[in-house]
Amino acid sequence: MDATSYILHVLQPEILAVIAMGTLGGIIIGALPGLTATMGVALLIPMTFGMDPVEGLSMLIGIYVGGIYGGCISSILIKTPGTPASAATVLDGYPMAQKGEAGKALGMATIASAAGGLFSALVLATLAPQLANIALRFGPAEYFALALFGLTIIASLSGDLLKGAIAGMLGVLVSCVGADPISGASRYTFGFTGFAAGFAFTPALIGLFAVSEVFVQLEHIFDDRVKTMKVSGVWPTLADLRESTGALVRGSLIGTIIGIVPGVGSGTASWISYNETRRASKTPEKFGTGYAPGIAATESANNAVCGGALVPLLALGLPGDVVTAVLMGGLMIQGLAPGPLLFQDHPEVVVGLFTSNFIANIFMFVFGMAGIAYFSKILLVPKKILTIAIALFCFIGSYAINLNVVDLYTMLGFGVVGYVMQKFNFSQAALCIALILGPMAESNLRLGLLNVDNDVIKFCSGPITLTFLLLTPLSLAWPIWQQRRAKQKAARAAASGGASS
Amino acid sequence: MRRFAFAALCLSALAVSTSAFAADYPARPVQVIVPYNAGGGTDLAARVLAQSLEKYLGGTVIVRNQPGGGGSIGTSATLHAKPDGYTIGTGSQGPLVMLPNYGGIDYGIQDVDFLALMGRNLMVIAANKDAPYNNAKEFLAYAKAHPGEVTVGNSGAGGANHVATEGLAMEANVKLKPMPFGGSAAAVTAALGGHIQSVIAHPPELINHVKAGNLKPIMVLEEKRIADFPDTMTAKEAGTDFTWAAWKGIVAPKGLPADVRAKLVDALDKTFHDADFLKKMKDMGEDIDYRKSDGYKALAMKDAATAEKVTRAIGLYGMNAKK
Repeated sequence: MDATSYILHVLQPEILAVIAMGTLGGIIIGALPGLTATMGVALLIPMTFGMDPVEGLSMLIGIYVGGIYGGCISSILIKTPGTPASAATVLDGYPMAQKGEAGKALGMATIASAAGGLFSALVLATLAPQLANIALRFGPAEYFALALFGLTIIASLSGDLLKGAIAGMLGVLVSCVGADPISGASRYTFGFTGFAAGFAFTPALIGLFAVSEVFVQLEHIFDDRVKTMKVSGVWPTLADLRESTGALVRGSLIGTIIGIVPGVGSGTASWISYNETRRASKTPEKFGTGYAPGIAATESANNAVCGGALVPLLALGLPGDVVTAVLMGGLMIQGLAPGPLLFQDHPEVVVGLFTSNFIANIFMFVFGMAGIAYFSKILLVPKKILTIAIALFCFIGSYAINLNVVDLYTMLGFGVVGYVMQKFNFSQAALCIALILGPMAESNLRLGLLNVDNDVIKFCSGPITLTFLLLTPLSLAWPIWQQRRAKQKAARAAASGGASS
Repeated sequence: MRRFAFAALCLSALAVSTSAFAADYPARPVQVIVPYNAGGGTDLAARVLAQSLEKYLGGTVIVRNQPGGGGSIGTSATLHAKPDGYTIGTGSQGPLVMLPNYGGIDYGIQDVDFLALMGRNLMVIAANKDAPYNNAKEFLAYAKAHPGEVTVGNSGAGGANHVATEGLAMEANVKLKPMPFGGSAAAVTAALGGHIQSVIAHPPELINHVKAGNLKPIMVLEEKRIADFPDTMTAKEAGTDFTWAAWKGIVAPKGLPADVRAKLVDALDKTFHDADFLKKMKDMGEDIDYRKSDGYKALAMKDAATAEKVTRAIGLYGMNAKK
């Protein structure tokens, strides 16, 4: 038996059908707010008990890949991130859909997801054992530095620096609610057991983006003008693609690397990719107004995380996020322990999973492109009905995650906060990023300091830590410098314009 | 008098309805509340159990995840459910015997009807391959010579692995440095990468890294050596009489009708003797250690006492209580 026969094993019709089913199911689960790829994989694990290992796990990988992609559909069409991984896609996807280019936005997202997914699949298949060690280089200090660097995104994402900082700080403060990561004591819960673990993230996200938008729509719900949205074709133009090439490459690389680092996740990857793409762009002001490269950056990154996250799982037996932890459970049930020994003892499983990861990405592309015309029909639904339906979905989705009423309070609370922020031009994205990275920064800072007995020099001395810590002030200064330069340019243009007239 | 007659009527109606209820139990699906996320160890075990339990109970058994609050939210839901046998739950060590010590929890161990112990998750301390000790005796000697310098990663603050580390240190009269991570996988990863010296975790989380030579098993917190690590000393052998293991089982709210309880306990007993069930659990790395109601209760009570002693000593007792 050799690699070719292992690959051919996956290409049997039965296995292909299972991957196709998994991917399609994943897309639907991902598109429904509140149902995430994690839940899809977890709930279907018992189905794989009776299957051949490669077959069963291929289905789970299909769900994973499809689920991460599916989140973009609701992000773009109804401003509700289907999964946290697609929160950043709201920034350019939703304005683009509102301009009547929903088809194009979804097309770009599908192409980007496939590009990111296939790139990381290639990396997984060729370099997994070599790259897996990156996962081990990250200790508490490294995670803290990465999170701090990530938080600087807030500065460049929010047009108004002061308002952005306020939104970010609010996010960090809010993320302090819940158990103290080091002592376990409850903080700021006011005695409610329901908040003992802090605000649940997905309901908070649904509230921040979707419920706040419902409130905005409610203001106009009785205006009786019927506004039907136009839905354009599905393919982005050649010019869009050319403009997005840099974003695709950057997103795929950032997504793959962040995927390999355990526990950081696709949400962070897409925010960092969005920010880096914007920074490198010649026209940063177009981001956030419905600009195709913005979608390309986020969607290529979050799908590239899938392949990246499988690297430490298969090569070292280290699950990086909840989905891969669940996948690891699926492997263990089959009597297969991921890790270096898996490559020696069961090459058929390893090569099989590599292959099915490729195939799942191809299916995702095909289903995605074919489905766009149908997904976009949502926008033809009259606004009144759509708004009420979205509100209903927000409730169902937020409750479905933990079956916990407290999550509905969280959702509503964040909905009100999001609405007020929108009214007064505070960046919701800044709050969202702080909610993701705040807890990561806090727990790792404290854990890292505990580890070195509060010796700050020792804490900062690792090469990775040092690199990110040095990049942080640069990343903060960049948008300020850019704004100043833009102002100077405008002033000069005005001066020369005045002189010539 | 009229009031009395009314009350009697109500009571008899209630009696009739409960007995009719019990005779055809289960007339509708039985829910098993898992207080953790779908896809975790307890969830998977509960799902495999549900499949087998259906066969012996003669009705549908569904798993319902109600995570949050370190397991206290779902456990509270189980213990405050109507005691009719249609809502049972998995009862894990953390939410049953640890969390009540910290306060702010609306149930206690006295509210639990222990039905069956499913299994125990053994505790092993393993160290990075470059750590300056190779076995339990060297580990304790090193810790004694370097108080507060030996970092031991665990799955989370106040959890079983954390309390076990502190309990061991108390018993051995050494000072360790417990490092709480967000989950066992993160703690094991940090130990593998050499960011911390050692980690306390369950055998399935460690065994592949030990086989690959990246971690070395140091100490087992059991009475006897265990099959997965036959060459690894127990704490007892190293001169410290301390044992600890996490566990999970099936619990119900107190006050089940006697015949419903009997039927449930009987179906659980048959499930734990089902060869197919046992094989699946073994493949998943779950150590089945079936104990009947009394044995389960005794184990929980013993651990509750130890946990209270340790949490009082390290100052975590009552930290979340309403003041």
